[in-house]
Formats: sequence, structure tokens, C-alpha cells
Amino acid sequence: MRKKISLLAVSALASIAFTAMPTVARAADPACATVSFVTTCQGATSDGAAYVMQVPANFNGTLMLYSHGYRYPVDIPAGIPVVGGYKVVKLPQQGPDAVVIGTLLGKGYAVAGSAFPIQGWNAGAGVAADVELIGLFRKQFPATKKVAAWGSSLGGFITQALAEQHPELIDAAAPMCPAIGSVEAELTMAGDVLWGMKTFFDPTIKAHNYSAGAAGYGEAMGDLVKVFTVLGKLQGAIASGVWPDSSGPAGTALASIPPRSALLMVGLLAGLPTQSAHFDSTSGPGSPNTAAYTSFALAASPALAILENVANAAVLGVMATYDVEIQSGGAVFDNSKTDYTARVSSDAAVFNAALSGSDAIGGMLSFLNPANPAAPRWSADAAAVTKMRALTSHTGKINVPTVTLASVADPVTPAGNAQWLADKYAAQYAAEKANALHEFNFTHEYIAPKKNLITIWAPTPSTYTKFTATGAPDTTTPAANGTNHCNYTDAQMLVVADLVGTAATTGVLKSGGPLTTLVRKAKGLTLDPGFRAPLLKFYNEEL
Amino acid sequence: MFVQRRTKRGILASATLAVSALAFTAIPAQAFNVHTVDGVNSNTIKLGITIPLTGSAAPGYSKIPSAMTAYFNYVNDNGGVYGRKISLVVKDDAYLPTLAVAKTNELILKDKVFAVVGALGTANHLAVAKSVNLGRRGIPDLFLNTGFSNFADAKKYPTTFSLFPSYVMEAKIMGQYLKENFAGKKLGLIYQADDFGTDALAGFKQAGTTFDVKVSYASGSQSAQTAAGWVSKLKAAGAEVVVMFGVTTASGAALATSAALGYKAQWILGSVGGDATTLKAVGVPAVVLTGAIGASFLPAPTDLTDEYVKFFQGINTKYNGGAVFDNNVLVAMNTAMMTVQALRAAGANPTRAGLIAALESKGSTFASASFSPINYAKGNHVGYNSYWFGAYNSAGELKPVGGSYSLYTTDSGAGAVVKSASKRPALPLNGLPSN
Repeated sequence: MRKKISLLAVSALASIAFTAMPTVARAADPACATVSFVTTCQGATSDGAAYVMQVPANFNGTLMLYSHGYRYPVDIPAGIPVVGGYKVVKLPQQGPDAVVIGTLLGKGYAVAGSAFPIQGWNAGAGVAADVELIGLFRKQFPATKKVAAWGSSLGGFITQALAEQHPELIDAAAPMCPAIGSVEAELTMAGDVLWGMKTFFDPTIKAHNYSAGAAGYGEAMGDLVKVFTVLGKLQGAIASGVWPDSSGPAGTALASIPPRSALLMVGLLAGLPTQSAHFDSTSGPGSPNTAAYTSFALAASPALAILENVANAAVLGVMATYDVEIQSGGAVFDNSKTDYTARVSSDAAVFNAALSGSDAIGGMLSFLNPANPAAPRWSADAAAVTKMRALTSHTGKINVPTVTLASVADPVTPAGNAQWLADKYAAQYAAEKANALHEFNFTHEYIAPKKNLITIWAPTPSTYTKFTATGAPDTTTPAANGTNHCNYTDAQMLVVADLVGTAATTGVLKSGGPLTTLVRKAKGLTLDPGFRAPLLKFYNEEL
Repeated sequence: MFVQRRTKRGILASATLAVSALAFTAIPAQAFNVHTVDGVNSNTIKLGITIPLTGSAAPGYSKIPSAMTAYFNYVNDNGGVYGRKISLVVKDDAYLPTLAVAKTNELILKDKVFAVVGALGTANHLAVAKSVNLGRRGIPDLFLNTGFSNFADAKKYPTTFSLFPSYVMEAKIMGQYLKENFAGKKLGLIYQADDFGTDALAGFKQAGTTFDVKVSYASGSQSAQTAAGWVSKLKAAGAEVVVMFGVTTASGAALATSAALGYKAQWILGSVGGDATTLKAVGVPAVVLTGAIGASFLPAPTDLTDEYVKFFQGINTKYNGGAVFDNNVLVAMNTAMMTVQALRAAGANPTRAGLIAALESKGSTFASASFSPINYAKGNHVGYNSYWFGAYNSAGELKPVGGSYSLYTTDSGAGAVVKSASKRPALPLNGLPSN
């Protein structure tokens, strides 16, 4: 029966989840219909966020409340590479994909999610919409006993914020591929990437301090075109060793250094992963004993990984910067005092050969020196920064059983986000333990604090770059495990759902053998407690 | 909302004591040899190494794992370490930092080795230290095949033990040698433009050595073509004595190209790039090497008057298929012997923390082929600190300058370079440590 419901649920879902919202009156009460054992209700919150709720006939009492990730806040004109033609839509999303949603419904979970009232960086509005949606859901389905919140990317940020601000409303949380901490940490990475691309490869890129109104929109759209254009040129430059013609002063001053090294430098100073969907920084074509193999693996692959990661992250970098500047009223990225030399010191040692040696590294960092007029630094608007810092952020406190899932080479929300939360929780747990021991002195009863955070990592395989018969890298294969943004299999996401759903019901996270077995069966995941992802560069962690 | 675990500590403690008393009286003592440390069971101690078996650095270095295994097998055939046989899991890192990280992770997470031993390459191991966090995990990281001075920083790398003298020490000692033997000559330096070279520059600066010309190269860029550029600069500056502080393939390119271009200088080869067998393998004719000066902290691998060399050559014949016995094989077997002593020092039921503590407390007493003392102590993970100089003869053998090993010793800081009269411990009976 359960399996049958599951299949039917998937079928029901397909007819609703990712099609345009039917005309729904924005009334307090949602419009509901039951098809194939699944009741689907649609409506809008008081601030206009379209939502969908789905409840199976075998509802187990637990709601899985999903928060979706970042959606661009403005339309993007057709003709812009990769994202051209995007239109702002307000489709509610009740899970990461149809298979996961259907499986959860089949297991008896209810699912729900909204489109949030606004798009873009909307953590505050997202939390408010989730809070209201929980109330609406409980009202509509009084059999609801527990709520597990989960979400991806910015949705992970919203999920953690919800757990911090309203632990009374949810019983467990699972931020996946999350942004965590503050928008400032994320925008620092974006700003560093864009500033580096501008300074080395195209001084006409604006990338910050966008003008107000239509002019600013035009500047941001223009930046998207420029970034993709220069990435295309860099693809050729990596092979030829000649700097792109758009490079400006850097192309002349650093001409003796391969542009691939400069591109890698941009990635390292921003903290981008040095492995990407198709480039492992490890493999070369043909026999490992050939010079071609070594030179590709050592020198070309890290640069190509950065190229691929910048291509994945740049659009979001431009759009999020533009978006948050509008919300804050001015420029928010500031690298006027950033010490890039200190930032890259340990990475430069590891990637010394790919960066063409210490002399070349010194040359590039010297060019990036704040005193070099050819590499002007950016200053933020103080009032805008104050406003940005007033946007929703995290303390890192874990109030409910929480599961995070992060890819070690995610170029958009790097694994350092999850690490930040893990570090905060380690301190919280240590304090709770100390407090428990202190209490023991008085009560002679030791109440061990409960472990309330599981951090799951999606690591990359040891090697995964594929080559064609002619020795060219093959980028037509699926992105490797542990790479790209929120690049998870359904099985991996369902592990998270299982853990957070069970924790919501029981109040405790799985541990020991059952946890290990569950994670192992999903493949491509690890609980390795010894793994430590580098924090985002914003935090100036010493490595 | 929270379900909390309540434990009556007092009751628990009493119960534990009671159970312990019962167990220890009811079960024979030998039943308690169950060991739950990763990489250690009642029969085996599993160790791991990442090293270039393929790629540009494979010539020479690829011989290290089999030579280590040869010595371990000899020990295993003679009772092992407290009855446990040593196995060495070998992973090819192709001298690529990212692959070194992946392979070290495999050693720890899949193979579950007890300790990592003999990892090679400065950039590789920096990547491992940063990404794999051996220190944070408490995994012993023994006897590195690199002389990068920072790895001896016990605060930063608490489980890492350097063995080679640091490159700073080597450069300081070379500076002293240049002062004593080539004063007034025009000096040239070729060095690798990374931390390896940075250490060297720091050492030469400390020694007060001034070079008339310095040529750097990015790791991996060495070739006959690039070497022609180096030689051209050295020639133009009139360098009469050239220090080659690079890897063997760079030394080979420099020596072969200078010979081809008719550039004659007194070459002084650093220990990393001075293995004669490997130089021959990468195409340097013996005649080109003849007369060059080399530095080493181990006896010459051809010195059969040395008890360690003679013993290890015997192991090489019996357990390593008679591979060409060179510096790499000697380093590997010496490292293996050090490892056995470390494991013995950690006791019959070794733990990772116990192994590290044992190295700090007893490591300085270990028998070793090097003439240099071993400097391990609490908070001090510096291994050797001494070098001797020799000249290559026409057979490619490094013969001590002056006919006998004359040892210079120093530190990685501002300490002076002095002649050392250090006496090394004798070879353990039959080469089997009994510490």
C-alpha cells in the first residue's frame, strides 16, 4: 500500500509541482484538492507568498517544510549567456525535486513550501513566510505533530535562521548546501572573484557600486555579458599562454606569467574550490609518466577548475551584489584593507607550481597591492554596510536537532559555511558539557548534553577528469560528486530527509551504527569527523 | 522538547569497578590483547605512505616504498614488533598536491592506517597538512621525505616528525663550506621558486653568503630548454662555483645542459638533487658529474666500510630483488628502521598518542645510519641537523672530501655552523632494534 501511495504521489506531484501556479485567490484559506491519495492545497500568505502544501493519506504527523534557494530578483534579457531569458516567477517549491517530494509523501510525510514574497536575498522575508506557513499548515491539518524545516542554499540560510529565531515552531532543521553566517561573508567571496576578474582580465567590469534605477540594472546585465565573454577568452588563454586582449594593465605588466596562473590566483584569493565539476586538479591525459600528463594535472587543471567554478558562481555573484546593494542603498563590498598576500599564503605554497613559482606569485601579489593605481581597491559605503549587516544573519546557535549537508567543492556556497556552523556548535557543546559538569558538583547527577548537530560532507572522488581520445578534457560528463552547487543525488537528499524527519519525530538525531549505515548506503557521503573545510576567506582563518 | 540522558555517575563508577574485577579474575590475561586502534590488530600494524610512483618525480623516489617494505619484511621474518607484522600501504601521488590529499585521505579513511610514514614533497605535504589535518586527527606523521623547516614546528604540526636536516640548515652549512673553500670566487645559485627554495635563501642569508647570480625556476618547469636559460645567465655573470639547490631532474638538466654548452663551473649539489644513480637515470653522464661536490647526512650508499650501508645492502639483496642501491634505498631503509624503533618504543599495545609521546621521549636515542644526532624531545620534532661534503668520482660515487666524513652541524635559526664530533649509535644486533 505504502509503495503504491508513493508512486501515485510522484504522479500527483508531477502534475503540480513545477507547472505554473493556477489562478489561486490570495485568500486566507487555501484551495485544496485530493488526487491519488494526496491532498494538495495552494494559497498565498498574508504578504503574498504563494505556497503549496501536500499531505498524503497516510500522513505520519510530520511536516517537511522546504525553503528554496536564491532566485534572481529581476528578469535577465535574452541574449545574455547561460541565464538569458530568465523571468522572475513566484512558483512555490515544497522540496528539492519531484522524486524526493514523491518519496517523502510515500513515506507519510507532508511537504510544504512557499515562493517567498520577494525574490533575491530574502532571508528575513523567507523566515516570516515560513513562520506563517507553519501556522497555516497546522490550521489546515490539525493532525500535524512535528515540523522539520529544511532548505537548499539560501533556503538553508533561511532554515537555520528559522531554527535560531523560532525553535518553538520547529522540531528539527536541515540546511543543505547552505549559506550560513551572514550575507556579508558570501558577498565578500563574490566581490573578491569579481574584483580579481576585473583587475586582471577586464577593467571595464563594474561589479560593484551599481547606479540606481535602470542604469544600475544595465550595468549589472552588462557585467554578466563581460564576465562570460572574458571567461570564454580565458579558456583559450589557458591553452595559448597569451593574456586576453581585454586584460588592460595587468596583461602588460604580468605578460611573462601565464594567464592560467593569474586566473588561479583569483580563485585562491577569493576562496573558490580548486576542484570543479570536471576538473580534479589531479589527472592528465594519457600516461602518468608523460610530461603532458604532469603539466596538465599540475598546471592546467587547477586553472580550468577555477574557470569552471567562476562560470558557475559569477552570475550569482553579480546578481547578489546588485541585489544587496539595492537593498542596502550603496556599495557593500570593501577590499580597501584586504591583505591578499596573507590570504593566499598557504594556498600559494600548495599550488606553487600552478602559480608558476614564488617569483610569479610575488609579481601577481605586487600588482594587486593597494598602492598600485592599476589595481584600485573598492571601498564600501558605510551606511550601506550598516544596512547590510542589519539583514538577517546567524549566531550559529543550534536549538533543535540539525543536519547539514555540504559538498567539499561547492563554488557558490563553499563547504566553509557548514564548517562555520560546526565550529560554532563545537563551542556550544563544549559549554553545555562544562555546564553539565558544573551542575554535577551540586546535584551529583550528570545530565549529558545531547549531540544536536550532524555534519555530512559530500567529498570529491580521488580522480574524475575524463579525456577524449585526442587527449582533450571531456566536459560533457555529469558533474562529479562533491562539486557544483547543491549537486546531490536523490538518495543523498533523502538521507538528510530521513535524519531530520526522524529527529523531528523522536527529538534525537540518529547516531552510531544506524547513522553510519544510512549515510554509507546513500554513496558519496562521509561523516568523517576529522575533515575540516576551510572557512570562507571573510573570516581570515589562519591555516 | 529535549530528551536527555541521565547517568548516575556514582552508580556507574561502582558498576564499572565491579564489572572490571569480575572480568579480570574470570578471564585469562592473554584474552586482553584485543586492540581497537585504527591500523593495529593482534597480528598487524598497518602503516601508509604516499609517494610519486609515476610522473616527473618518480625516478628515484619510486624506489622508496619497496625498500621500506624490504626492511619491514626482514623485521617481520624475525618476529615483527611485539609479535605484530608491519604492513605498508603504498599510494601513488604522482607528486601532485591534490592527489596527495586524496591518497592520504584514502590511507586514513579506507585503509585505516595507524600512521603515515615517509611522505614526500614539500608542496604535497603542505596540502595534506592543510586539508587532511593529520595533527587535528592525532595521526602520527613520521619521518618526512622533505627538509622544509616549518614541518618541524611541533605547535603547528603536532603529530609530524621531520627527519631530514632542514633546507635552512643545509644552506647554512653550504654557506660555511663555500666560505671555507671558495672564498673570492664568483658564486651562482639555482634554486626552486617555492618553499624549498625559500628555505635555502633564508639559510644562505643567515650564513652571510652572497651570490653573484641567482637563478630561480618554478617547480615542474625544469627541462633542457629552461636549463639553457639558466646556464646563459650563469655564464654571463661569470659564475665559477654554482650551487644547485633543486630536485634531481633540475640538477640533471643543469649539469647536462652546461656540459653540452661547454660551460664549466664547480658544481655543488644539494642533497635533494644529488643522487648519482638518479642523475644517471635522467641522462647525466658520469663524466659530467665527476668532480662535483655533494652534501649528505647519510653515509655514501657505496661505502661498504659503513656497517649500516653494508647491512642495508644485504637486506636489499635478499628482500628487495637486488635493486640498484642508492641514496633513495638507503634513506628508505633507514626510515624503516627508525619506524620500527618508534613502534617498539610505543610499547606492546601502541596507540597513536603513545607513539608520539615515545618519539618525543626516546627518539633521540634511536639507532640510525645518519652521522647526525636526532634532536627529538618534548615539543621538538627536529630530526637530523648535520651534513658532510663529498666529491663525486668518475664512477659517480660520493667520496668524503679529505678522505673521512667531516660533519657540520647547525639549526634552522641563528645558531652558528660548527664542526660536529657526534657519534652515532651502533647498528643494532643483526639490524633488529631491541629498544
